[in-house]
Amino acid sequence: MTSFLNAVRISAMAGTLMLAPSLVSAETITLWTLNFSSQAANDAFQKIADDFAAANPGSKVEIVTRGTDDHKTALRVAAGSDKGPDIYFSWAGLGLGGEYIKAGLSLPLDKYYAEYKWDDELIPAALSFSKIYPGGRQGVPSSFKGEAIYYNKALFAKAGITELPKNYDELVADAEKLKAAGIPAITFGGTVNWHVMRLMDVILESKCGAEKHDALMDMKLDWSTEACAVESFAELDKWSKNYILSPFMGIDNAQSFNLFVAGRAAMVLEGDWLVQQLSEAGNLDDYDIFPFPTGTNRLYGFAEYNYVSTKSKNPDLAAKFLDYFISTPVQQEVLGKFSPTSINKNVVYKDLRPLDQKWVDIFNTYSQVYMNGDQAFPLDVTTEYFRVINEVASGNMAPAEAAKQLQTFIGNRG
Amino acid sequence: MTPRKVLSDARSQAVLLLAPALVIYLVFAIYPMIDVVILSFQKWNGLDPHRQFVGTVNYSDIFTKDPVFWGAFRNTVIWTILSVIFPPIIGLALALGLNQPIFGRNTLRAVYYLPVIIAPIAVATMWRWMYDPFFGLFGEVLGMLGLQSWNQDWLGNRNIALYSAFVAHLWQSVGFSMVLFLAGLQGVNKTLIEAARIDGAGRWNVFRHVTMPALKTTITIVLVLSIISSLKAFDIVYGLTGGGPAQSTQMLALWAFTQSMQIFDFGRGSAISVVLLLITLAVVVPYLRWSQKREEFQ
Amino acid sequence: MMAASLAVMSEDATDRRPQRDWVLVGLWIALVVVAIVWIAPFVFIVFTSFKSTAQVMSTSAFAPPLSPRFANFSDAWARGRFGTTVFNSAIITLIKVPLGLFISSMAAYALARISFPGAKLLLLAILFGTMIPFQVMLAPLFTLVNSFGLIDTYPGVILPYLAFGVPYQVFILHGFFRGIPVELSEAARIDGASHFVIFTRIFLPLSLPVLAALLIIDFVATWNEFAMALVLLQDRNMWTLPLGLSAFQGQFSRDYGQLNAAIVMTVLPATIVYLIFQRYFVSGLTSGAVKG
Repeated sequence: MTSFLNAVRISAMAGTLMLAPSLVSAETITLWTLNFSSQAANDAFQKIADDFAAANPGSKVEIVTRGTDDHKTALRVAAGSDKGPDIYFSWAGLGLGGEYIKAGLSLPLDKYYAEYKWDDELIPAALSFSKIYPGGRQGVPSSFKGEAIYYNKALFAKAGITELPKNYDELVADAEKLKAAGIPAITFGGTVNWHVMRLMDVILESKCGAEKHDALMDMKLDWSTEACAVESFAELDKWSKNYILSPFMGIDNAQSFNLFVAGRAAMVLEGDWLVQQLSEAGNLDDYDIFPFPTGTNRLYGFAEYNYVSTKSKNPDLAAKFLDYFISTPVQQEVLGKFSPTSINKNVVYKDLRPLDQKWVDIFNTYSQVYMNGDQAFPLDVTTEYFRVINEVASGNMAPAEAAKQLQTFIGNRG
Repeated sequence: MTPRKVLSDARSQAVLLLAPALVIYLVFAIYPMIDVVILSFQKWNGLDPHRQFVGTVNYSDIFTKDPVFWGAFRNTVIWTILSVIFPPIIGLALALGLNQPIFGRNTLRAVYYLPVIIAPIAVATMWRWMYDPFFGLFGEVLGMLGLQSWNQDWLGNRNIALYSAFVAHLWQSVGFSMVLFLAGLQGVNKTLIEAARIDGAGRWNVFRHVTMPALKTTITIVLVLSIISSLKAFDIVYGLTGGGPAQSTQMLALWAFTQSMQIFDFGRGSAISVVLLLITLAVVVPYLRWSQKREEFQ
Repeated sequence: MMAASLAVMSEDATDRRPQRDWVLVGLWIALVVVAIVWIAPFVFIVFTSFKSTAQVMSTSAFAPPLSPRFANFSDAWARGRFGTTVFNSAIITLIKVPLGLFISSMAAYALARISFPGAKLLLLAILFGTMIPFQVMLAPLFTLVNSFGLIDTYPGVILPYLAFGVPYQVFILHGFFRGIPVELSEAARIDGASHFVIFTRIFLPLSLPVLAALLIIDFVATWNEFAMALVLLQDRNMWTLPLGLSAFQGQFSRDYGQLNAAIVMTVLPATIVYLIFQRYFVSGLTSGAVKG
């Protein structure tokens, strides 16, 4: 059996070798990233690579794009061999991105941060993620996504809300006003676990404050004994019983968006990418945004990064390319092709839609970020986090019990 | 040996004829089954080049530290019990009805069988939309009947989600049981039924004393197939609820997949698979023995 | 087994008509009513597939689409990349199904007609394979196919499909071949024909009806397969139709009309094949296979 398997394996490998491109020169770097949403983005990225090669004679950047799941799997496959990319895309945080870092896939970039002075060029909120790992700064931001409350102006007016909430308690009071006016305050889709999770994340930030929030997500504080954690679950329970458009556990985020556009609920907690969707589905003038008022002066969001692989034979060139990629002229040129905003803070915006402008202002206001739970936790804890959140949200588990079960799970990981 | 000689040798010919099917079967079906057992004693995240042997840790983990495993186990058992009861009974009833000389029975058979040939993932997508609490079919029908208040969050309410999912599965699988029973009914001796009729036996008595005994083999086959197919429940749950809400519709097959391919804990995922494999064997082995005996008996 | 039982699906109702039997009339009404309930989901899906999102949200579920939006289909086709997924499903099915039947029938012939030690045990091992759920082996299957470098390739999914199709087909065909009179092959044997010749010249033509039924069943099963494809085909350019539909549901579920158009397009090929070949199942499945 084994020898047969080996025979097949060898012949399969031979086949792969035949298909592989001719031996790459020492000056070629490979970059693995996700499929781009549009052809324009594809072309723009290819142009960046070509321009870089033209500016650096003898070097070449090869771009390989894949779907999200395929990309994750490909990285996992590459990790086991000595093949693989020089630069790879991943999310920032201890979740998926962190797992690759823990497995030793990512090269610390302190040297290059000093050399290229990236801290002077990039928006602080996006940069903050590079510092959260032990052993040095990892990766360079490629994009940053913020999440905030979108609200329906007419419904807010109908409920008599004249001023935006400045803290969490005021927000709850407003939700109560909406409820009194017969308007469900907010809508979520429960089938995609990460949607309701956003509410738990922002409540946790409001109730625990920045430091404890991070320690809890870092699993350094005990969820079951930390009063604010239990309290946060209790708040989640309150929201799901009173303020979330019900039923919500059986619909997904897209359906919840439909209900929001149809005016069935006053708010959604969504990312900056929603502006485009909203403009297609409704009239942008009917809506406005405000960051979830946590009172911690941190923005809710997550970042996407490019990491230099430890297996790269040419880390200097890889870093040079990343520097080129995030430089102001390049970012200015591709603005709007990958996302409406850039991680480069020197980029100039023109003719922005009001909501996009608002996002730019928000990005420039906040220097610190707290991230989505599913980016912060390792994969197995994320799964458990989803579970206890859903249990509480569907009224099936007491808040204290949820905190206890989550902590038990974390404790059991050993 | 000359090639001619090889060909004339019956045994060599058997080997040649068997080889392609057998090699593929061994490599891609039997070997993974062995490997899943090996993996269940190892720790591996898919990233490390080496798998680490850890003894029975994965098993004790899923039994004592996994908050979802026993729920998934329970759901798999419930699903299996429901699958053994409802599709066969409804399938038998339909088969008995459609075995009568009635108008348009071929069309009716075709209608009942139609869901069987649809991809389970498409059935899941269809039913998910029908269960939509705001614009779905069920809310609509209940509304028409004036029972709006009975409308539920069919897939979001953890107390009923599993059963909602099962109804979709039922819709898909009844036709299969029906067809097996129809085949079985072909084997029922018609003269025996006629004789019983002439003796004045009512429909129920004919069914009870002639038809049912003749269907014994078919019933066994239907039950075993129902059990096996329910242990594999994957596509429909994946598509309808993904195991949610709060893992309340999680199944062993899907949970094994989630652990291995989404959390990338291959060891735990494989341990769950092995548990499922053992349950399956507990059904399959006695069944194979039984059918073996039947074969010899005939 | 499934093949065999399908044979009864549409045999003609030639039984003689009895006098009006009120029990039968009641039975008929009940069966028709249940059949209408059974078919209702299809009607609902098809109606919705022709409606715009606004119409879905404002009209009754069973209201026929008075101004049908055919654009739902073309839009869903483009957004769901149906061109790619249909192509992949077609390639995989067209290679897997005939190839699988061919190797299975060879093996079945050997098991049924050539006596060699261990044949019985082998048959049992194959019968065992018909019962084992491949769902428990998704992870090792992934690592195995990956070690061959075949993730995201046609062979990478066709080979496991073959492996899990073989047992069932061998089992059915073995039963059928056993029922073919010994004299037929013995005469040829004596004339010096090899087993391979007997198999291709005598057995294959004789078993065409069974092969046809198995072909159709295997077509539907392969066309619909989801779990293995989910693990083995990660690249969306390699996705099959079921994977495409699942992703479509995840991405565009808020476009109700298009989602339902996507469902209709996914379900249609298998439905058409079934409706066309339904009669074909009948033609000659012998009791040898039925006893399953």
